Amino acid sequence: MTLYTVERLGVATGGVALVHDVAFAVERGRCTALVGASGSGKSLSCLAPFGLSAGVASGSARFEGRELIGRDEVDLRPIRARAGFVFQHPLTALTPHLQIGAQLTEAATALGGARPDRRALAAMLDRVGISSPEAKLDAYPHRLSGGERQRVLIAAATAHGPRLLVADEPTSALDASLRHAIMDVLARLRDDGLGLLLVSHDLALVARYADQLVVIENGRVAEAGGVAVIANPASAAARALVAASPKLDDPAPLLPPVGGSLLEARDIRVAFRAPGWRGGRIAAVDGASLEVRQGEALAIVGGSGSGKSTLARAIGRIGPCDAGSVTWRGVALPPRHAMRREHRAAMQAVFQDPIASLDPQWSVIESVAEPLRYLMPELGAGERRTRALMALEAVELDPAFADRRPAQLSGGQAQRVAIARALVARPELLILDEATSALDVLVAGRILALLETLQRERGVAILLITHDIAVARRLCHRIAVMEAGRIVEEGPSAALVATPRSAAAEALVTASR
Amino acid sequence: MRIAGWTIIAVALAALLLPLLLPWNYDQIDWSGVRAAPFSHGHLLGTDSVGRDLLARTLIGTRVTLMVAGAAAAVALLLGTLWGAIAGWAGGRVDEAMMRIVDALYALPFMFVVILLMVVFGRSIVLVFLGIGAVEWLTMARVVRGQVLALRHRPFVLAAEAAGAPPAAILLRHILPNVAGVALAYLLLTVPQVVMVESFLSFLGLGVQEPLTSLGILVHDGAEDMDVAPLALLVPGAVLVGLILAMTSLGERLRDRLAR
Repeated sequence: MTLYTVERLGVATGGVALVHDVAFAVERGRCTALVGASGSGKSLSCLAPFGLSAGVASGSARFEGRELIGRDEVDLRPIRARAGFVFQHPLTALTPHLQIGAQLTEAATALGGARPDRRALAAMLDRVGISSPEAKLDAYPHRLSGGERQRVLIAAATAHGPRLLVADEPTSALDASLRHAIMDVLARLRDDGLGLLLVSHDLALVARYADQLVVIENGRVAEAGGVAVIANPASAAARALVAASPKLDDPAPLLPPVGGSLLEARDIRVAFRAPGWRGGRIAAVDGASLEVRQGEALAIVGGSGSGKSTLARAIGRIGPCDAGSVTWRGVALPPRHAMRREHRAAMQAVFQDPIASLDPQWSVIESVAEPLRYLMPELGAGERRTRALMALEAVELDPAFADRRPAQLSGGQAQRVAIARALVARPELLILDEATSALDVLVAGRILALLETLQRERGVAILLITHDIAVARRLCHRIAVMEAGRIVEEGPSAALVATPRSAAAEALVTASR
Repeated sequence: MRIAGWTIIAVALAALLLPLLLPWNYDQIDWSGVRAAPFSHGHLLGTDSVGRDLLARTLIGTRVTLMVAGAAAAVALLLGTLWGAIAGWAGGRVDEAMMRIVDALYALPFMFVVILLMVVFGRSIVLVFLGIGAVEWLTMARVVRGQVLALRHRPFVLAAEAAGAPPAAILLRHILPNVAGVALAYLLLTVPQVVMVESFLSFLGLGVQEPLTSLGILVHDGAEDMDVAPLALLVPGAVLVGLILAMTSLGERLRDRLAR
């Protein structure tokens, strides 16, 4: 039975039409997913009829037989109370000074519902899969993990017994293995009879849980249908989305040949001071060893907090390293603060947040040329500029970008600049620390393609840090799986993906299927 | 913002140049026109109780006040930026120790300290500079340290390290330029505070020495005669209030713009 029907939906803000003629329907006990790149208008189409986003909606959106569009805020509120909403940022969406129980009670009663007793509250938490729910009722949000907080938000969104649950990118802020756990919770609620409207750019995730798929591009529906759309996309927009996200059953990638040993790290240990006055130390990396050969790509894969970034930074000598040795072509690398330019020139890094990776006051060309100033001081200013421009060309960025500031760049453009800066001194090893994770699917896909090209044409070795094993498989010869500061499994990509031996590797593979 | 900027420039220029055009010196006594009314005996704003030209004294007072403010603000900027940058950059124990020193200095009742200094070492304009600057740098140090702390973990700093930039170069090329804007905004907010403090000290009789004068002294003297010669209070008062308002609004606008 149809719960929510949207027809001829248009949304305009400030006189500019951003969404045109969008139509979809959500049935009871079913999941409809709106999929598209960022800025495609998928969130707007989902939230504007309920008056929850900027913009004026036109057309028709009927929820349980009542028209939403054209009503004012006061009229809309009782209708909206029949729906629940989950948003992207679980870490900031809970009030820090209120206990979980109090927040759930508030969510249940805010729309005029009855005050739930403790048993009912515990049942709500139990329903979203929170362990020992009774105890968690008295906990404050900071005691909960990111995944638990998102569960609490789902519990709060469904506390007043809605018929429709609208989830706007509910898992984008979480790491890969948590995404499925959260989606399982949503799927269970759907099986209990709730209509689920999902907004996401993660096709693999959507394919597993949605019944109906609506691909949105530039504010219009590009394609709609069952999940078969993913296997057999008809529209260019859907094809681009499918191609952009690597999948585990893609054909095996053609990787460049591997040479002799380049870098060897032995028994790396890094510990951080524990927060609080009692101190003590927490081991982030606990005796990890790895080897990278010339032209080889090695992926370090693991969940958040597994220590993969810390390990890569310790090896690259841009982060703390308490014990262990790193040798480069058989010569031991000095510790972080004793690195000289001949050591630095061999390894360069690209980080997750592209905008924060660039000094906001420096122009693109200045940022790209920076390594040359220190690593190749024999070059003059003119030669530095020439080489920086060549690096921009290598990352397929127009020279017109040279004099822009980071604030004038998109995420993808900024990441290209960061890659150009890493390449300009012709390093033999690139450390890519979640270099595509913060980017939108389509943009991330293009950056991945660029990295493949660079790998093939320049023979540069890669140390790839990622939580997505499908990305690792597309770019890397070997994969090392990390958990709790240790490398628990290592092997050729294809073999590791086909037959994971450790539980951690198995969980990562399942999360990407 | 534009009005505030022009006000400051106009007042500063007037204080600098106008005294050269006046026929009266600030410490010159006109024996024929003691307590002259405005527009009499060739005094535009009249004279004070010992016959000195009020306009000349107001201009000199403004000059002194601005000088004290500028010097104290410079001390605050230099010391505060250096202290804050080092603490934020070094981090850990060094940071902890340096910031506890700042906290301890904050806890001292600073007016009392300045007054004590004046009493022990005698009144001198240098001491006023030092005393005020030594207190105003504390806030600057905290602001700069916070900024540096936030910046030093940004990936672009890591990237600079990977690019082989030595720590001094990172500090000079990446960190300080990014702190400069905020530091400048707080500097503009410090200046009016210094002006207030100086005026207050002078009002108490602890600031600048006669026959030199400052806006605070003029307001103090003017207040004694306000029932017979209101302009002697109103003119320096208006200059003082105008300066403080202009600088504060300029500083706040700048800070808000940079905070975004």
